[in-house]
Amino acid sequence: MKDALLREIGKVVIPFIQIFGIYIILNGHLSPGGGFSGGTILGVSLIMHKLIEEPYKSRIKISERAVMQFTCVSLILYGLLKGYSFITGGGEFELLDIPLGIPGRILSGGMLLPLNVAVGIIVCFTIYTFYTLFDKGEI
Amino acid sequence: MAAAANFPLLIILILFLSSFMMPVLKRVKAVKWLSLSSILLCVVLSVLTLAYVQQNGAFLYKVGHFEAPWGNELKIGYLEAIMSIMFTSIAALITWASFFSADYEIKEKNIMLYYTLCGMLLASLLGILYSNDIFNCFVFIELSSIAACGIVVVKDKKENIKAGVKYLILSSLGSGLVLMGIAFLYSITGNLNIGFIHQELVKVKDLYHNTLIISLGLFTVGLGVKSAMFPVHIWLPDAHTYAPSSSSALLSSLVLKAYILLYIKIIYRVFGIEIVKTLPILEIVLVMGAVGMIFGSILALLQKDLKRMIAYSSVAQIGYIFFGIGLGNILGLMAAIFHIISHALTKSALFLIAGNIIERIHSKEISRLKGIGIEMPITLGVFVVCALSMVGIPLFAGFNSKWNFALAIIDSNRILFIAVLVASSLLNALYYLPIIINAYFGEENTKDRVYMSKEKSLGALLPILILAFAIIYLGISSNGIIDLIAKSVSNL
Amino acid sequence: MERLITNYYETASIILFGIGFMTLLIHNNLIKKIIGMNIMDTSIFLFFIAKGYISAKEAPIIRAPYMGVEGYINPVPTALMLTGIVVAVSVTAFALALTIKIYEKYGTIELNEILEKGGD
Repeated sequence: MKDALLREIGKVVIPFIQIFGIYIILNGHLSPGGGFSGGTILGVSLIMHKLIEEPYKSRIKISERAVMQFTCVSLILYGLLKGYSFITGGGEFELLDIPLGIPGRILSGGMLLPLNVAVGIIVCFTIYTFYTLFDKGEI
Repeated sequence: MAAAANFPLLIILILFLSSFMMPVLKRVKAVKWLSLSSILLCVVLSVLTLAYVQQNGAFLYKVGHFEAPWGNELKIGYLEAIMSIMFTSIAALITWASFFSADYEIKEKNIMLYYTLCGMLLASLLGILYSNDIFNCFVFIELSSIAACGIVVVKDKKENIKAGVKYLILSSLGSGLVLMGIAFLYSITGNLNIGFIHQELVKVKDLYHNTLIISLGLFTVGLGVKSAMFPVHIWLPDAHTYAPSSSSALLSSLVLKAYILLYIKIIYRVFGIEIVKTLPILEIVLVMGAVGMIFGSILALLQKDLKRMIAYSSVAQIGYIFFGIGLGNILGLMAAIFHIISHALTKSALFLIAGNIIERIHSKEISRLKGIGIEMPITLGVFVVCALSMVGIPLFAGFNSKWNFALAIIDSNRILFIAVLVASSLLNALYYLPIIINAYFGEENTKDRVYMSKEKSLGALLPILILAFAIIYLGISSNGIIDLIAKSVSNL
Repeated sequence: MERLITNYYETASIILFGIGFMTLLIHNNLIKKIIGMNIMDTSIFLFFIAKGYISAKEAPIIRAPYMGVEGYINPVPTALMLTGIVVAVSVTAFALALTIKIYEKYGTIELNEILEKGGD
């Protein structure tokens, strides 16, 4: 949609949406929210950027390969972290434990924070891919 | 060897991680070898798991740090150990065969995606097999149906998309029904762990008789749709015909079997056979299986397309398996499990052969297959082994499974069904033998044919040769496997 | 009848399930089929979440005064349905993508027309 008003407001609002998404991802282990909700918000901000900037040919392009690589690397990261936790829990190995930290701080809750970040990246790009799948044109 | 308890979880993790590594890699060759090597590693781990189970008996494996009713669990007994060896080794053979056929059937840019989907599919099927948590099973079911649908549409032709849509719609119908069944069970037991559900069900079975009927009925129809039980098999012929031949082999030999194994788990572990016997569901499964045995074969007889014929033959064979489950006795279940193994071996070989033939003859028509016994002697030799096994000639695996079915029928005092078994075998002979006869004999069929002119290389033939040897081995000495199955059935 | 009204969550979800099921089975239009699939899934989510809800108790998020186990509703069905929703969304997206492909290849999304055209 070609609309100057929309574009100007988008310039202001989109960074805030992204910061809000990152906030939700990073605070996922302390309050409601987490990787899934935060990732959705981030993905929506990408979609909004694409919608607003498309007619002006000024949007930041993300290549299909980059999306694929980000998603796969996050999936592998998630799999490794969660697999480590599963195996040490199930096999009752006494390997090194991630320190839990002080409850209430950002750096606490053991593996939850990195897992949330991984989920956030996956969900963000998946939502964005879902949108581009049904929109003509490339990612 | 205590570490071997972790292997089932490790198998699932390795398969998922390796399949997500594939899209990052740049070269197709690297993807292929990563896929094959990860599956081969899983074969080794499955064999070690079986060894561990033979030493220590069936065991429960706690996933993560929480004990059972709160955390997830895997349960690995003899059944799971045998089946995971079968799943991984057949998948390894099919992957090896697909090295030679994928370039011909799938577009270059989709090949990486194909192997990713295969890895995910195998991992989710093994997840269904191992998991002791019924909701976890549901998540793996959905994952496997997306991946299975993916390997059907990966060829990107008109018919594939049509078959894929049909498959996706019917299988999401099936998973909806399964989820509703889980919802009913959860509402009367308050648990999702299979062992705990069973404990609660034993207490409340008299209170909720109708709920139990509805729930088991939903599971039966839902998993029946997914595993192509006779009246709801309509997605299967299209999906198997148009998919690339290695995907058809995977679909027919592994995907359908995983859902049937889950159904066995639901009957024997979740509900328990004593409760199921008070419900009228098993009778229906028995009748549907018997009808499927006959009608699947009749429909196969009417087909002109080679892969479609083999697909309808799958419907008939799935009928056998449901028939064995429906008999409701130990022998019937053993026969069904043995048939799962023998059918997986035979049908994967048949689909791979069909792929080879179609690649060389450039035609799917059965009528064009005349005289290819001279041109492709090794491929057709394996085809003969598989066909004879399907018909149930002694010395081949199919005979043993039919023999076990006959014993189970006698044991359950339903002698009339022997006639169904014999009739179905005769029908099998009616559609497999003409192909063999036309391929080898007949004056006009065999003249001007050059010996070995269209055969593929030995590397490409290796998987079907191994499958043929496995079929003959199961036919000659099945005692070892039958013993294992007996053990697995006795402590289900 | 009285039992249907007291358990109105379950009744509603079963009715919705029936609507979704029949839409999925009867309609020829693929988009309508996908809508039916979504209605069916949503009805199951309603059923599950209704099972976990206990009236007059709070959502299981612990804030300043911890009220003990008795103070909160059962969080398990909600968590399960979160997974269910993710799965349903992915299946829907996949089905819609296939529908677009179908439209590209056949020029229609009516299943009966596709089946007529697709005779091999």
